[in-house]
Amino acid sequence: MVTSTLDINVPAFHDGRMTNKLDRRDRSAGDRAASRAYQLDFWPGIAAYAVVLVAVLTWGDLDGTSPWRFLWAVLPVVPALWIVRAVLRHARRIDDYQRFLLLQALGGGFAVAMVASVTLAFLEIAGLGLAGTGWIIYGAGMLGWIITGAIVGRR
Amino acid sequence: MKNHLRELREDRGWTQGALADQLGVSRQTVNALETGRYDPSLPLAFRIARLFNRPIESIFLPPEDDDAHG
Repeated sequence: MVTSTLDINVPAFHDGRMTNKLDRRDRSAGDRAASRAYQLDFWPGIAAYAVVLVAVLTWGDLDGTSPWRFLWAVLPVVPALWIVRAVLRHARRIDDYQRFLLLQALGGGFAVAMVASVTLAFLEIAGLGLAGTGWIIYGAGMLGWIITGAIVGRR
Repeated sequence: MKNHLRELREDRGWTQGALADQLGVSRQTVNALETGRYDPSLPLAFRIARLFNRPIESIFLPPEDDDAHG
């Protein structure tokens, strides 16, 4: 018996017992396709970055005196740009809500990186000489991105 | 914004993933819509209305505060 307009399109196999199955958190086919496309964009960049990093550390002689060491030092930028491209393509591929979550996560990472850079700059002025501040800022920013992403994704 | 999306989906025996695929969004987005954490864009609201063959205002309910001020 049809009790409301919502009943009209109910398939014969559907009953109340299916509710739990209908609530399952499996990714949709579209989710899997978007994720696959992102992985295909992202991982070649990471692999290239790892190869370039090993090459720079092996042959770059960054502690040496050759003027070529500056070129070696900036060489990892090329695969890093590939990774940035992968993230931007991912941002264009996902829907509005996911883009909103990504924006919040990136915002969190950016805020942490900015606070870290200002804090380290003041510590440096105060005379605390820290080595590798760039890496600390990078790590803080990435951590901020990941943690904010996890928090907004769970809400 | 409250809505009837969950009832409509379950009445058709669709999973969140199945609805997501038909709307061209992620399952996470469908979940956020159903729990009222995300209000859809106008194009997405029209896609939802077309899919369920119902007017937008019968799926999405304006917040009570808006009614009081309107």
